[in-house]
Amino acid sequence: MVWVGNREIAWCPGCGNFPIRTALESVLKELPVPPQKIVLTSGIGQAAKMPHYLDTNFFNGLHGRALPLAVGIKIARPDLTVIAVSGDGCNYGEGGNHFIHTIRKNLDLTILTHDNKVYALTKGQSAPTTDRGTMNNLDPQGNENRPFNPLAAAIVMGAPFVARGSAGDPDHLKEVLKEAILFKGTAVVDIFQPCVTFNHINTYQWYKDRVYRLGKPLPDRYEALKTAEIWGERIPIGVIFRDEGVMPRQSDRIIFREPPEDKALGAMLSQQHFK
Amino acid sequence: MELNLLIGGEAGQGLASFENTLVDILSKLRFRFFATKNYMSRVRGGHNYHMFRISENPVHALSGDGWDIVVALDRESEQRHKPDLKKGGLFISLEMTEELNKQAREKYGRITAANEILSGVVLSAMGCGDGDIARIEGDSLDPVRTGFSLANKWDVADRYPLSTRAGNHYRLDGNQALAIGALLGGCQFMAGYPMTPSTSIMVYFAAAALELTVHFEQAEDEIAALNMALGASYAGLRSMVATSGGGFALMQEAVSLSGMTETPVVIIVGQRPGPSTGLPTRTEQADLNFVLHAGHGEFPRIVFAPGSPAEAVLLARKSFELADRFQIPVFILSDQYFADSQQIIEEPLDTGIIAREYNVYGSDYRRYAITENGVSPVTYPGLGDALVRVDSDEHDESGSITEDLNLRVRMVDKRLAKFRGIRDEAIAPTPMGEADADVFLVCWGSNGPIVKEAVERLGGEGIRVGGLHFGQVFPLTPGMIDRYGLHRRKVVAVENNATGQFASLLKRELDITVSGRILKYDGTCFTVNELCNEMRTYFRKV
Ligand SMILES: Cc1ncc(C[n+]2csc(CCOP(=O)(O)OP(=O)(O)O)c2C)c(N)n1
Ligand code: SF4
Ligand SMILES: [Mg+2]
Repeated sequence: MVWVGNREIAWCPGCGNFPIRTALESVLKELPVPPQKIVLTSGIGQAAKMPHYLDTNFFNGLHGRALPLAVGIKIARPDLTVIAVSGDGCNYGEGGNHFIHTIRKNLDLTILTHDNKVYALTKGQSAPTTDRGTMNNLDPQGNENRPFNPLAAAIVMGAPFVARGSAGDPDHLKEVLKEAILFKGTAVVDIFQPCVTFNHINTYQWYKDRVYRLGKPLPDRYEALKTAEIWGERIPIGVIFRDEGVMPRQSDRIIFREPPEDKALGAMLSQQHFK
Repeated sequence: MELNLLIGGEAGQGLASFENTLVDILSKLRFRFFATKNYMSRVRGGHNYHMFRISENPVHALSGDGWDIVVALDRESEQRHKPDLKKGGLFISLEMTEELNKQAREKYGRITAANEILSGVVLSAMGCGDGDIARIEGDSLDPVRTGFSLANKWDVADRYPLSTRAGNHYRLDGNQALAIGALLGGCQFMAGYPMTPSTSIMVYFAAAALELTVHFEQAEDEIAALNMALGASYAGLRSMVATSGGGFALMQEAVSLSGMTETPVVIIVGQRPGPSTGLPTRTEQADLNFVLHAGHGEFPRIVFAPGSPAEAVLLARKSFELADRFQIPVFILSDQYFADSQQIIEEPLDTGIIAREYNVYGSDYRRYAITENGVSPVTYPGLGDALVRVDSDEHDESGSITEDLNLRVRMVDKRLAKFRGIRDEAIAPTPMGEADADVFLVCWGSNGPIVKEAVERLGGEGIRVGGLHFGQVFPLTPGMIDRYGLHRRKVVAVENNATGQFASLLKRELDITVSGRILKYDGTCFTVNELCNEMRTYFRKV
């Protein structure tokens, strides 16, 4: 059993989720908002347990559905800081449709995905980001599908903030997370997360040998798209694309605790009222 | 006295705009009417028809006694509906409507004037003259007068004089009634994905969002829609979704999420004939079992099925209050017939918006505190020091995942304990006809007003029948029906499905055995006449 403070944590010792948790915890503490004003949403999976290990509000929902929950919360309460955090299976597989359409909405929220290239909670099957040829109990001959590139997809969908972090570089990850959460608009962050139990290829060392930090984010979408596609001996992490020019869709209209007035509704009803 | 009118034609020939024109004029002149339609799932062509029953008395169903006027905008309408013209009725043929269109174009320079001319023909048949149409404004007035002279020419003027009219009233279709009820219930958030017959609820809500502090969000699919609604509800807005069977199928897991996380939400399921895509624009009541059993696992729920727009306003309003009070999903079953029928409501509506509370708690707040009645104190993120932690896994009182199996049992018991309070709130069915009759018709949802009129008509013929309309179909409690002694009577269920789902529910919940089932599942509603015939046959057999 692993304990952090007085909480028992259900992750394997050495799991990449731990450094991500530590980074996120310290970013949340540094935010200019109290924990009561922060809501994490998550789905189901190992990564999706994250909210349970942080001191803030959360709605731990269904597998694949962290994003529509976040959308509902953010629309209802623009005053809250909303962060969806889940695994690659959750956000890109079961919830892939929501990934596309949540980005299109460009609400001011953050989408974090722990990319361990595996369905960990269900014990090791291929995720959308799993490399071709990877073998597991449901792909005994090796996975035949091309991996999903979440960052390229996010850029193409028009996400104004697209970044990658790595659990193996926690200081850098912290900076990326903070920038993402403070960004005004939908921020997409894919986080390399070694799964020490089920993924024996994409290990800490594997990432260490390949990952390099990007400098300043690229202002040009097409350049960013090229960067998002770099894969192999060298893999970039950092903010790949950042577009300040796009205003989030959100209006500042507050409707929470502002029910319609009887009079206004009465005026609407008068169209159907005949005297 | 009443006038029954049918107008048939192809999709795209302007039947819907004629309906709107006529009902607008009827409402302004305070005539009592009921209007419904039967249409195909296509945008052009095919065969659609709209039906109107205009009467001196309140009317909330199709009589089924034949048509006084049939208007055919194509040959198919003539073939199909002319045989149902009553003796002495007026048939307005394709050629006659062409004459009408010609006048619209030549006199008024717009084809839409044809709707007003035809409305004028109908008004004249109802006994209206120049003195009666002062409330019709602007451009419409003259075309209506042209209709008067056509009515004279066609010898239909004053044939169905309607002397009494309604007082103050609302004119609503079923979906408008549901949307208005939701707004009155304090609903501020709706997410949806278009699907017949529920789309117009979304349209109404989206329009309301321009005027009121409410929000409509079009979701990428129904899964997202219900999850968004649950997110908004968690964050502090009363929320709802509306869909039909297929979309509701996609919502299942989130229904269960509402049950587990105790997040209130109202779900409107507008039924249409299934299975699968079925008959997309027709009516049926075959999703009762589906809604009763929706979502995996065990959790409390309430299911309403309003019969009239007035009841829809009332029950939709109440749904939000109950969803909130018990922190549960509340379902409203409607159907295409109900959704698309326009009628007038003469009873007063309670138009005050239900206020809600926003309680503030300290840092020791636990979202799932175990209480005697199963209801935990609720608050929303950002109020006070409380953290609101909500989990779809089995959880402890503070919302953290647990696999403590003793706690699991206590949490199940806590959630199900809410059923006690829910059962105490059960809304009794509406009685009709003779309270001490040997035979009782039972129905639910949109069949309510049809059964009511049938029971009254049979009573008038000396056939003694009673009836009960269930606006609340689940839970069913003995207290709801005690006074009717149903166990001693012959109970006949009237339903728009092939198996008698409500009849089976009555057996399961209240041990009532029905002795007859009058079922219809051809995609159309019952008419009063049809139901009376079924009952006469039933009485011949017993
Ligand atoms: C609707 C549904 N399908 C399947 C599952 C089973 N399931 C739970 S987690 C999971 C995959 C988890 O993978 P990922 O999201 O990548 O999270 P990880 O465990 O790798 O962090 C699956 C398939 C479920 N809970 N719900
Ligand atoms: S299975 Fe993998 S992802 Fe899950 S806790 Fe263990 S190491 Fe981490
Ligand atoms: Mg994973």
